Amino acid sequence: MISSDCFVSVIAPLDNDADIVLDFIQEVTQVLKNQFANYELILVDDGSRDDTIEKVSLALKKYECMRLICLSRHFGIEAAISAGLDSAIGDYVVVMQPDSDPPGIIPEMVQLSRTGTGVVIGVRKGRGKEPFWAKLGAKLFYWYIRKVLHLNIPANSALMRVLTREAVNAITQVRDRYHYIRMISVFVGYSTQEYLYEPISRSGKHKARSLGESINQAIDMVVINSTHPLRTVSVLGLLASLFNLLYMLYVIIINLVKDRVAEGWTTTSLQNAGIYFFILLILTVLSEYVGRILNEAKSRPIYYVLDEKNSSVMLSDSDRRNVVDDPLDSQIKNPDL
Amino acid sequence: MSSLSELKDSYDAVIIGGGFFGCRLGIYLRQTLKDVLVIEMDNDLLQRASYANQARVHNGYHYPRSFLTALRCRANFPRFIAEYPECIVDDFEKYYAVGKIFSKVSAAQFRLFMERIGAEIGPAPAHIRKLFNPLLIEEVFKVREFAFDAVILKDRIRRDLLEHKVCLQLGTQVEKIAPNPDGSIQVTCSSTQDPALKRQLRAAKVYNCTYSHINQIISRSGLPMIPLKHEVTEMALISMPDELRHLGITVMCGPYFSFMPFPPEDLHTLSHVRYTPHHYWLDEPGKPYLDAYKHLAAIQQRSSYLNMIKDVQRYIPAISQARYVDSIWEVKTVLPRSELDDSRPILLKKDYGIANFTCIMGGKIDNIYDAFAELEYLESEPIRN
Repeated sequence: MISSDCFVSVIAPLDNDADIVLDFIQEVTQVLKNQFANYELILVDDGSRDDTIEKVSLALKKYECMRLICLSRHFGIEAAISAGLDSAIGDYVVVMQPDSDPPGIIPEMVQLSRTGTGVVIGVRKGRGKEPFWAKLGAKLFYWYIRKVLHLNIPANSALMRVLTREAVNAITQVRDRYHYIRMISVFVGYSTQEYLYEPISRSGKHKARSLGESINQAIDMVVINSTHPLRTVSVLGLLASLFNLLYMLYVIIINLVKDRVAEGWTTTSLQNAGIYFFILLILTVLSEYVGRILNEAKSRPIYYVLDEKNSSVMLSDSDRRNVVDDPLDSQIKNPDL
Repeated sequence: MSSLSELKDSYDAVIIGGGFFGCRLGIYLRQTLKDVLVIEMDNDLLQRASYANQARVHNGYHYPRSFLTALRCRANFPRFIAEYPECIVDDFEKYYAVGKIFSKVSAAQFRLFMERIGAEIGPAPAHIRKLFNPLLIEEVFKVREFAFDAVILKDRIRRDLLEHKVCLQLGTQVEKIAPNPDGSIQVTCSSTQDPALKRQLRAAKVYNCTYSHINQIISRSGLPMIPLKHEVTEMALISMPDELRHLGITVMCGPYFSFMPFPPEDLHTLSHVRYTPHHYWLDEPGKPYLDAYKHLAAIQQRSSYLNMIKDVQRYIPAISQARYVDSIWEVKTVLPRSELDDSRPILLKKDYGIANFTCIMGGKIDNIYDAFAELEYLESEPIRN
């Protein structure tokens, strides 16, 4: 039963997903076909080295309303999603990960978005299997983002989300290289709502980020979206120089008041160490920002597209026979008739 | 309309297909031959691809990645305009825009290319630029490109056929051809209405100008099919809001779109690289032949108009005020090789399986002059057996 007359685009980034992609396409297409009068499924291949592209190319002959965008190399999931958003035409755009997000929840999430709440963000139920440090790190990160950056990113928010056309138009205007969809879809404003769901695992494998990757991503997300750390170390720097000033004053006073000054080793080294600590901290943060400025100044495209393919569904063989049966052709095959 | 019995027994040349290519070839052949017959299966001329296309008289802008095709367009553009001035529609402004994301050419490349082939290109005025979303469009150029009115062209062609004494047989299809022992070709044709009404003719030369049907006669005559790609295509006919009514706009060069005035209906056609082709199939030697027009008539295609307009309004918001009127469905036939380089070469196969049987297919209406040049070249060659 077709319940909705709106146009829904589904974007799914692919990265070496040959084992699961056909199941995913089959399942998503089923859901979309049943629920929406108009839809498109945009698969963005992020430089897969297995036979993902071949498998999807075959599926293009079987399923309608599907598109495959192949990036020229691996650019990362965020760039792949950007490529999808840049060419999606729907009134509502669903972003999802083929491995972990269940297609069955698309209609409900779109419905939530349609009834006026705008952007709907998928939130995973629990981080059950993840190690202790990951849970703690995530908590700290979301707290910092909320308190300091004033961006209300729901804790445990997934990539899975529904964006309205207005939100997509706003997001595609942001052409940072650090294009974190989780951050930007909140950054552009519009009202957001959370949708709690249980993630699945199609491949059975758990594609977890390593600690290093998580930390990298957290730093990128904070640094690109806020100058808060820079401001914090500026204040620290100011305090440190003030402290230095006081110390100089102390040294002069001691020098004047006392007759015999010796053994200044403890205080001198303490002061040196303290100042070096602050200087290095400030340099660290500055270098982070200089790095970002350099990357932004290059203003290269976020991704390059190698190829785009669309559905080309021919009639099934049984339908085709009626068309081919040309009376003239059969005469030639059977000249006796 | 003459009946089959009124046909002569023998002709110097029989042309199969009464589209623009077939008719114009008939007029061309009358320069040297006496009895020339054009056979058309429909009851009127120029009914299929000659009518159901975007009515663009190409001037090279469309092919910024194929130097040869663009140059040939430049050469044929003035010839077509000079020969059919009454069919040319030039009361609109034509702009080419270059896409920012997903484009295969940059604005600088596009301009340089057009300057090299000598095609007029200039900056678009501010009020036109304002129509475009600057995030998706890199640059907009004003160009010189016209449309043709296929209905006026049809009337003109019909008069030309009469004037040049080219015989015309409508409502008739050619079933097959076969070589005669004397070197001529036997042409078996029948009435489209009543296939039992048959007639056999003798022709010194036969030209197959049937575009999407080109392999029909070939396969019925027991010859190997020419590898061709057929696409079921949809163009939307739309009524434009006032600010776009006198404009034709094409966005290059990737998954973009083009709209142009469609003179016969006083509407615009909208075609989209991504949504105009619906599905395709290939004619290959050894495969059963699929009749393109019967296939098109038999299938129930869902219109992709909504997809087209949703995408186009991201680039040109004003088009959201356009009103959808209808879709024109047609089979577009291309050579498989032009997939790669975007060029539109003509297909010309002389003595295809049978001596003096020539197959001609062009992708654009003004390609016809290239076909003549190629025919002259081939005629000057010694006859191959």
